[in-house]
Amino acid sequence: MSTSAVMSLGVRAMFADYAALQTTSNNIANANVAGYSRQQVSLETAKGQYTGAGFFGKGVNVTTVTRSYDQFLTREAANSKALAATDKARLDQLNLLEQVFPTGESGIGYAAGQFLNSMVDLASNPQDASTRQVVLSRASDLSMRFNSAAGQLDTLQAGVTSDLQNSVKSVNELAKNIANVNDKIAAVIGAGHAPNDLLDERDRLVSRLSELVQVTTLPAEDGTLAVFIAGGQRLVLGSQASALQVNPDPSDASRSTIAIVDNGIGRNLSTDLMTGGTIAGLLNFQNNDLVDARNMLGQMAAAIAGRINEQQSFGLDLRSPPGAGGALFSIGAPRALSNENNLKDSAGNFVTNVTLTTTDPTQLRASDYSLQADPLSPGNYTLTRLSDGTVTTIASGDVVDGMRIDISPAAAADDRFLLQPVGRAANGISRVIDDPRGLAAASPVTATVGASNTGTATVGSLRVTSSSIDPSLTATVTFNSSTGNYDWQLVDASNNLVSNGSSTWVPGQPISINGFDLTLNGVPANGDVFTVAKTLYPASNNGNALAMAAMRDETLVGRTLNSSGQLSGGNTITDAYAAAMADVGVRVQSAESTATTSAAVAAQTEQQRAGQAGVNLDEEAAHLIQFQQAYQAAAKVLQVAQSIFDTLLQTAAG
Amino acid sequence: MRITSANAFEASIDSLQLRQQKLSETQKQLTSGKRVLHASDDPTAAARAERALATVSRTEASQRALDASRNSMTLTESALGDANDLLQQIRETMVSAGNASYSDSERASLANKIAGLRNQLLSVANRNDGAGSYLFGGQASSQVPFVDTTSGVQYRGISGDVKVASQEALPLTVDGAGAWTQGRTGNGVFETRPVSGANSGNAWIDSGRITNPSLITGSTYTVQFSVSGGTTTYTVLQDGNVTGLAGVPYTSGKAIEIDGQSFTINGSPADGDQFETVPATPTLNVFDTLDRTIAELKTPLRSGGQITQGVQRSLRDLDQSMNSLQSLRAAVGETLNLADSAESRNADLKLYGQSERSNAEDLDMVQAISDFQNQQSGYDAALKTYSLVQKMSLFQYLNGS
Repeated sequence: MSTSAVMSLGVRAMFADYAALQTTSNNIANANVAGYSRQQVSLETAKGQYTGAGFFGKGVNVTTVTRSYDQFLTREAANSKALAATDKARLDQLNLLEQVFPTGESGIGYAAGQFLNSMVDLASNPQDASTRQVVLSRASDLSMRFNSAAGQLDTLQAGVTSDLQNSVKSVNELAKNIANVNDKIAAVIGAGHAPNDLLDERDRLVSRLSELVQVTTLPAEDGTLAVFIAGGQRLVLGSQASALQVNPDPSDASRSTIAIVDNGIGRNLSTDLMTGGTIAGLLNFQNNDLVDARNMLGQMAAAIAGRINEQQSFGLDLRSPPGAGGALFSIGAPRALSNENNLKDSAGNFVTNVTLTTTDPTQLRASDYSLQADPLSPGNYTLTRLSDGTVTTIASGDVVDGMRIDISPAAAADDRFLLQPVGRAANGISRVIDDPRGLAAASPVTATVGASNTGTATVGSLRVTSSSIDPSLTATVTFNSSTGNYDWQLVDASNNLVSNGSSTWVPGQPISINGFDLTLNGVPANGDVFTVAKTLYPASNNGNALAMAAMRDETLVGRTLNSSGQLSGGNTITDAYAAAMADVGVRVQSAESTATTSAAVAAQTEQQRAGQAGVNLDEEAAHLIQFQQAYQAAAKVLQVAQSIFDTLLQTAAG
Repeated sequence: MRITSANAFEASIDSLQLRQQKLSETQKQLTSGKRVLHASDDPTAAARAERALATVSRTEASQRALDASRNSMTLTESALGDANDLLQQIRETMVSAGNASYSDSERASLANKIAGLRNQLLSVANRNDGAGSYLFGGQASSQVPFVDTTSGVQYRGISGDVKVASQEALPLTVDGAGAWTQGRTGNGVFETRPVSGANSGNAWIDSGRITNPSLITGSTYTVQFSVSGGTTTYTVLQDGNVTGLAGVPYTSGKAIEIDGQSFTINGSPADGDQFETVPATPTLNVFDTLDRTIAELKTPLRSGGQITQGVQRSLRDLDQSMNSLQSLRAAVGETLNLADSAESRNADLKLYGQSERSNAEDLDMVQAISDFQNQQSGYDAALKTYSLVQKMSLFQYLNGS
């Protein structure tokens, strides 16, 4: 038994307690550092020494410093942070999108309503130049609102691309840093002790990376952490980091997609596999919400512009001599985009080109379409409407949803096309008539009732329904019975018979001849005559203006052709805008609740992780007292050992 | 469960910020007075408000259309009133022209007076609304409707009318042809007149009346007089065929009745005088009547019978035209009534639209103020508890040990 045993016990105790105090102080110092895991000294009892009188303990050893770390909680916190970031990114973009569809007097629906309401004034004063000027100004206001909304959507797209680029830059930085830390950890892990601060650093980097793009991590045997994104693409392996880049989407160059750089070549990543992080939220917004908003806007623009242009062609303007009205609006043309990877010829041009022509603007849908060759029936193509996923088989030249699709020459099996019938309509809409006389307020034909008619029938309305009308022909309808049977004939300007026929009049149904519809009120008697002849004085006729004012109630957006060939459904222009605005509003509302929920979940999991790994100052304060007392006690042991030694020396000196 | 100091601070701050955000949203609502500022605040209410706004704008446009129609119709109604006054004056002049004691020169001066009134009547018929639209032009309202040609006044407008863009059938112009140039001749069913070239001018026929409408045949009836030996008899032919009235002795002033028609011939018809009744046609032109009257009054040396016959005919035709114009005036008055009731319907619709919009997007002030106060006291409580809890720490109690 030696005095040095007590001394060495005391020294070791002091050393252990000092180590504990040091660790506790380190915890207190780092209490507010994000991602810091509190460290603890792990002490173990030294092995006892065998003596004849029993085993005597040899004191305490400091084995290592551990950090409080739960792999599951850390991973959970990172994943829920990724989801919260996705929802927040999409919500922020949707809040900006909502401003493109404002309510009330600043909206497009109001401008369209006011434009059509100005047709009422035009009908009251067809030859008044100032009334016509008001109609032109309202038309211009409407087209400018469409342009500005479309421009805002373009700005949002540019914003998304630039946000993606910033995020990708950050991702690349973080990946490189993770690789560096991996390297450092691998270098020191062989020494046997866990490099707590480096591990914390790596976890912090992975958490920040998760906010940008959701990752899966796999710890390797050498202590490094492999990081994978998008369902298995390797971002960091050991001390090697890959980089991401932003590429234009091959199907539509105005959109962006993420690619991973592999040996200097960027390989596009599928957006379906990117499930979390800001990048996924931005991509989701770009590919779904932004596309839908653009299509809804374009559908309204194409429908009203197309219908007004058609009605203009049915009327007479005030030129001298008067002619059929020209188009009032020009709109952005429908376009078909070839995928970047389609077959190209030697000069770099695409072999197959697809052209779209609008046949009926009221049947256009608010959707993009994807077109590819049908593998099961050569010469035919599969057309998928992307808004609802409906698939139809068509051939080149078919008319679907108001547009004719021409494919020439026949496409190769791997070619893909993205059809955008209304995507750019709102960007390109503008008023192209500046002269007030160009408005076709007059109808080309006028109906008159025979002076000696004995029945009670009068002219209810006269509408031109087709541009095939020949206004130089005069149509005479003579009733030959009291039950509505009539004979009609068409004569030209020199009174030569062009065509004739007989039919029966049904109350409420129009009489359709030569491209016009004549509706009668009342009951015609036997012998009554009605004449429809060329309008001699277009300045006083308001027939076409009445038809344009009636468009306020016409469902001219999104009609569908049902199985019996009739057009049905659709919305009026103001209802269509209200529906589009409400659609965006619902998206924002649901994004808000999703973001609130996922933010709450992220906060909860972070709290759990921190609860396990974080520093509680009260706890550390208690530890300080605990180890301070222990240190004092150990110092006392040394003091006692010293006084024992002194006593021994004094005794030996005697 | 462990609470980490850093996490506890963060959680408290997050909660405070959430309350602050809610408070500022309520404040924004109170300041603007609207519950729905963006579509996402309440999408269905926003869509409803949008539709209500469209309704309100439409009622404003309808009101303008209605006003245009009412202006036109008011001017038309007063024009027809002026026309009636002029025709009244002409009628009085014509009645006095029938005075047998007047000489040719006096009748000629009456003719000049009627000519002046006739020109005034033409300018009334061609009245416009001050903006280049002729009231009686029908569907050709940008052109002068009544043109004075060498063969009389002709209607150059197009029959029918121009309507405003409204659900009510409110016209902007009136068809002038029907009242001014397409009245029914005679007494409306048949016209009596002397056969030209077979009239000595000693007898005249009146306008006639209907005694039994179901017996009207629509044929032309000719009354032929023969005087022999001091006795005057007449024979009535229907379309040239003999009827039951043949060789009937004639008495001046007694009615001759056949097939539901009844007319009287006065005076002493000479041998071979013929009178006829023909079915009425819609060709009565008031200006032709006046031109004919003026020409007759200016003709000198007419017999008493011819003068009476002329005045009779003119008065009959003038009365017919006045009736046509009067019924047109009544129709125009009706459209003014229609415009009034349409205006009140329009105002109701506008009120409905405005209240619908207000219901959908305006804020319930009482509810909002109460919410705001709740949130305010909640925020206050959160701040107080934060300040109390965060002060507490073990280090406060560990002094100098």
